[in-house]
Amino acid sequence: MKRSPRIWPALAAPGASWLLALFGIPFYAVACVAFGTIDPIFRDAVPQWNPLAWDFGQAHEVLTSVLSGPLQGVFLRTVVYVVAAMATSFAVGFPVAYFLARHAGKRKLLLLTLVIVPFWVNYLMRMLAWVNLLSPSGLFSRFMGVFGIHYNWLDGSPITVVLGLVYGYVPFLILPMYATLERLDWRLVEAARDLGATSRQAFRLVTIPMAQAGMAAAAILIALPMFGDYYTNDLLSRSPRTEMLGNQIDFYVNNSQQPQRGAVLVLMLSALLLVALSWYLRSTSRYAKERTK
Amino acid sequence: MLRRDFLRNLVITTGGLVVAPSILSACGTSATSSGELVIGTPTNPTKLPANGEAIADGLAEEKGTLEILNWADYTNPEVIADFEKLFGVTIKTSIYDTEESAIAKLRNGTFKPDLIIGLTDTALARLSAAKLLQPINKSYIPHFTNLIGGLQSPYYDVDSQYTVAHVIYANGIAYRTDRIDSSVFASGNGYDVMWDSAYKGKLAVLDSYRDTISLAMFQAGKNDVNTSDADVLSAAQENLIRLRDATNPKVDILSYQELPAGNRDIAFTWSGDILTALGYLPEGTPAESLGFWYPEQTITANDFLCIPKDSKAPVLAHKFIDYLLDTDVALKNQTYVGYQPALSTITVETLLSSGTIPETLKDSLVTPEKYDSGQRLVSLSPDADALWLDAWAAFTAG
Repeated sequence: MKRSPRIWPALAAPGASWLLALFGIPFYAVACVAFGTIDPIFRDAVPQWNPLAWDFGQAHEVLTSVLSGPLQGVFLRTVVYVVAAMATSFAVGFPVAYFLARHAGKRKLLLLTLVIVPFWVNYLMRMLAWVNLLSPSGLFSRFMGVFGIHYNWLDGSPITVVLGLVYGYVPFLILPMYATLERLDWRLVEAARDLGATSRQAFRLVTIPMAQAGMAAAAILIALPMFGDYYTNDLLSRSPRTEMLGNQIDFYVNNSQQPQRGAVLVLMLSALLLVALSWYLRSTSRYAKERTK
Repeated sequence: MLRRDFLRNLVITTGGLVVAPSILSACGTSATSSGELVIGTPTNPTKLPANGEAIADGLAEEKGTLEILNWADYTNPEVIADFEKLFGVTIKTSIYDTEESAIAKLRNGTFKPDLIIGLTDTALARLSAAKLLQPINKSYIPHFTNLIGGLQSPYYDVDSQYTVAHVIYANGIAYRTDRIDSSVFASGNGYDVMWDSAYKGKLAVLDSYRDTISLAMFQAGKNDVNTSDADVLSAAQENLIRLRDATNPKVDILSYQELPAGNRDIAFTWSGDILTALGYLPEGTPAESLGFWYPEQTITANDFLCIPKDSKAPVLAHKFIDYLLDTDVALKNQTYVGYQPALSTITVETLLSSGTIPETLKDSLVTPEKYDSGQRLVSLSPDADALWLDAWAAFTAG
């Protein structure tokens, strides 16, 4: 049977229109706010819908601030926090996913459910619970006190913020990692062992390369929301010392009278994430090519 | 000002994407302003431009529902229940978390309340320019004369044409008396305490750029809290950064919870918040463990009640305003809200004799004299405001 080649673009139409309506247009609106003006009286955003009349004044201000002003620290801090949180998430999440995929046996489903169950509770509720536990008079702080560890977790500490991010997003790393590891062709690892590789070598030279695409997907999956996260910080720190990009966007959009600056930051963050995303797409397509060789 | 933060977090967190709400509201609002800003100042009081007629005298109150727009937890639920019983109506309350969001949502029609509680004069000029308010008919408000003399005709709305004052408060420093001795405020001008690295990690300032930048100005002996002088602001910014580096402060509006919980020792805050804090003391912690230092140079302020132009129950709204100005009702409301009613019939002595306020918090109460001697924050021109916000952004960027 011969089908018209037009059917393939037609099948993509619902998805494409969905993307256009719920991503393309809102994204354009953000740009129109970023390069628009504000109402002189009400100080809210007046989007400039005509790209020819876009005003890049605020974008220039923000860019200057990012390159050499107060926002520079915020940008660097955000990157450092996200990278640290991502590394910790891998350190915590990868072994869990590995165990679930390889050694959990019959209890696999039960354990997987146990990993996920806490995350049925609303994110905000979980964070507020942590605020209670970590406060100097809270259970966790008192428990640590038994071991002589007296640390004020909530005094605006970067460690708390990073751990908060890890806690919030680690299941989103465990699940795709588990899915990837579960489907690996473990016979290749066995073959490597048969050919004389130590278990460590087999892990490094066979398992990791095979799981690379899944690791990249998991990394992207948690990095994207972490970069824009602001409420973890709001709840666990509230100190200027730990201010992240999301907090500055929140400030400019909700509490200042310069919403354009918030929109400019959104665009800059998107650009940054686009770089990360294109790295992911390239690495997965390279991986796919290698597999089909 | 109040317990808004939790709610604010709830609203923005459940809102998902950071930009979505404002982008949507930006699409919904009309593109240009419909009037111009008329800003009254203590030295230049203003009568707001006319916006239609007040309701006629002697109308019967509406039946059914009264919709109120309010800060979270800003009216005693018992007071609301009493009013519902008295008039046989139902009160529905919507919550706002910032004046900016309230104005935006009033303009684009998301909120259509019959009565608004708790806005301040920094919002009034915009409400007036957008022609959102209706004149008050004082014949429905016999208790109007209970208001503190100066607030019966405030500088921001001469003759109280559109607003009726609600509560008064002042900025100062709240602290734990069991951890900090009141004698610390005797050194320098008292504000220096906020720059003392001894309180590192245990100190907070308000997440409110006008209030906290003013703190830095007062500490440096500058009193013009409505300045548009870039040099003054950049000095204040440097001073705030010094505070940040010395004390790693929290920047929030949660001290009314965190001080009584013992999670911080000292906070620059609104006087009403420390009275609210009494209700958050854990069992076994005496009320005397909370203290308040009232600075000689500080900001005093009040908020107000107002009725939107398209209120569906304007008579009922007037009656509710009158109800809140009744001395007994206001006292009952105060015990829950903490903030001090702007009534001359409720003196500092009345509040102290009620037995709910400890001696250590006596100074947090605002007398009419203190109120008059304080500085007022008024609306700024957009250019001046941008300078303030730049200073604030530099401070919060850490």
